[in-house]
Amino acid sequence: MMSAKTARRLVQSGVFALFFFLFLNTEYKDSDQLPYAVNIFLRFDPLMGWAAALADRSFIWLMWPSLLMAALTLIFGRFFCGWICPLGSVLDFSGLFFGKKRRGVSNQKALRNAKFGILALLAGSSLFTLQLVFLFDPLCILIRSLALSLYPAANLALNAFFGSLYESGPGAVTAVSEPAYAFLKSHFLSFQQPYYRLAALTGFVFFSVIALEYAQKRFWCRNLCPLGALLGLLGMMNPFKRRVREDLCTSCGACARVCSTGAVGEGFASTQTAECVACLECKSACPEKAISFAGAVKPEAQPPDAGRRALLGSLAIGAFSASIFASDAKARYADPARIRPPGALPEDEFLARCTRCGECMRVCIANGLQPAIGEAGPLGLWSPVLVPKIGYCEYNCTLCGQVCPTGAIKRLPVEEKRQVRIGLAYFDRNRCLPWNGTSECIVCEEHCPVPQKAIKLKEDPLEGKTFKKPFIDEKLCIGCGICETKCPLTDGAAIRVTSRGESRAEKE
Amino acid sequence: MDRREFMVKTSIACAGAALLGGFPAAAQAQAASGVVVATGESPARNVREAVKALGGMASFVNKGETVVVKPNIGWDRAPEQAANTNPEVVREVIAMCLEAGAAKVKVFDRTCNDPRRCYVTSGILAAVEGMGDSRVEISHIDERRFKPVDLPQGVFSQRYSFYEDVLTADKFINLPVAKHHGASRLTLGMKNLMGVMGSSRAAIHRNLPEALSDLNLALRSHLTIVDATRILTANGPQGGMLEDVKKLDTIVAGTDVVAVDSVATTLFGKTPDEIPFLVTAAKRGLGIADLAKIKINRVKA
Repeated sequence: MMSAKTARRLVQSGVFALFFFLFLNTEYKDSDQLPYAVNIFLRFDPLMGWAAALADRSFIWLMWPSLLMAALTLIFGRFFCGWICPLGSVLDFSGLFFGKKRRGVSNQKALRNAKFGILALLAGSSLFTLQLVFLFDPLCILIRSLALSLYPAANLALNAFFGSLYESGPGAVTAVSEPAYAFLKSHFLSFQQPYYRLAALTGFVFFSVIALEYAQKRFWCRNLCPLGALLGLLGMMNPFKRRVREDLCTSCGACARVCSTGAVGEGFASTQTAECVACLECKSACPEKAISFAGAVKPEAQPPDAGRRALLGSLAIGAFSASIFASDAKARYADPARIRPPGALPEDEFLARCTRCGECMRVCIANGLQPAIGEAGPLGLWSPVLVPKIGYCEYNCTLCGQVCPTGAIKRLPVEEKRQVRIGLAYFDRNRCLPWNGTSECIVCEEHCPVPQKAIKLKEDPLEGKTFKKPFIDEKLCIGCGICETKCPLTDGAAIRVTSRGESRAEKE
Repeated sequence: MDRREFMVKTSIACAGAALLGGFPAAAQAQAASGVVVATGESPARNVREAVKALGGMASFVNKGETVVVKPNIGWDRAPEQAANTNPEVVREVIAMCLEAGAAKVKVFDRTCNDPRRCYVTSGILAAVEGMGDSRVEISHIDERRFKPVDLPQGVFSQRYSFYEDVLTADKFINLPVAKHHGASRLTLGMKNLMGVMGSSRAAIHRNLPEALSDLNLALRSHLTIVDATRILTANGPQGGMLEDVKKLDTIVAGTDVVAVDSVATTLFGKTPDEIPFLVTAAKRGLGIADLAKIKINRVKA
């Protein structure tokens, strides 16, 4: 029979393959509607879903799979971490580089309780409408890292590699490299090279999580992951706990040595249930076949030993931090560059729901959605803003609303989406070529997608020269930003879009 | 120097000589400036009859040649909105090239909206792929393939870049749709070349008349077919309102891009002298923009 380890590796690989397939397909593929529920992994995530729902004080229907996940955890314990979690799989895979022996930590008991503290902090802040889950949720971290950092970098490297062969390689080389490149292009690479702000920071977070493996296998999962903590707590009552036949156990410690989450308790017979990820490695390792996960033997389950005071303290800090962030001036006074995607909820609700998973930025067809740096205040970090200098909002595209797992961006029919105003354009007449008397231009008007044209032209003489000058029709402009993207000025555009007049906010 | 380069250079030399008044390029253009206007119910039949009246596709495309068919696929708009070349017309032109014995027909455009959306929404991707012919290749622009071309006679610039597939093709068929355009008033065959040029297209808007003449000097269209099945009369070049679309069921075709464009202006109730890029092109000897000097052959299809 297949060993537990092999079975688990197969499941992990299969799930990761599915995960990556969905990631690759989070892109326009000649169809207005994405054919797959590419955000399904996120929607199975109770931590993310519940934090968003709690912070927004609403039931998020889209997140119904998270209830299923919770139910499965009630029955099977924290199996998600051992078998399903794609970040967990990445960490296991990184063992190839870190080897079996790790440096170890000095105070495991205290350290592993940190994750419960983080969970309490998130609960406390969410209770007071501040959603911080984006900082710690493993799926958000992984997808965001892939979308904003790792995948664009891989694209860049491969494009550069095949590009250099194409430019300077001998015919015999390009005869092989070009078909290979075409294959990669159609199956793995992005249609156009994506570029994102914060690519380095986002990648740094990812590699930091990996680097922690140096100290311990699954350091992140054992000690920090609040999703792991939540699932561990949910699974406390599961009937398939680890159990040890003490008549057979010789206390050899083989089980404790293979356990990658430190769930084996003192004396080897007891189990920290909230830590056990049901990987079954201890069962395989036990030379006496004393360990099972079902049957008549009574499990000796130990509850988590996180101190109550510490948890209450975390909860209180989380709650109070809601007030701290709410009192930040940036949260009160909107930044003109905080242009949200069409269908975004009003700002407070949006921030409560947006978990910075990166799906909308990944799918944005013109690369216009970018992670916010300061535009949305300190808490808006990584949340999507349109940066028209980099890319615009495509008139007939509704993809961002299709992938948002929490409904922070509503899924809109295209007719409705075209009516949503996300901002307004204005001219810098000192720099605009026809306005400052340099030359004809009006590339902005040409690209304006509004059928009646939100940019109007007037022939207007200036110092003896007559050029067609563009004007904004504020009744028609929807703020899509294509004018700013396409403006021929090479530094900053002479037409800019700001969040002024956005449909989701109060009227001026 | 390959064939295409040779052709480009000789045509530049001819045009240059014509500017100096010595060479009979203008006379050549005049001889070739017959323009066919075909009208009828079927877009495909219109274009077929138009080309037939010009001597048939076999008089342009030889057996075994590689042909680039360059429609306007610039915008994420449906065929009814008349922002892109009609897909039936595109398919029929390709079919005629194949009938004439073309070994390869390539179709592409450097779009303004997302390329994938434009290819799909325009209906051109489906029309071309639906032909199911391995000699026909519709592809997206590969940015690596733009090659610099020197143009000493250029007025707006002396250096442009063009898509390699156009430079190396044996024949180039210019297949625009007739539309209103804010900056150039109309966009027709001459402006369609912007879809095969590299580098910044926005920059040439500073002086479109000279820049478009430069482009057409650097790259000759062996055959220009203006699709006026539907024309966009206002809010071009992408439109969006059906009120701005007029159904004309017409094809205008010829070998002199300036003459074809000039005749096409009349579909909008305009004359070539109202269109600055045609005035400039005629002045620079690229072709005939004087309607009185163009032999117009009207065909009922």
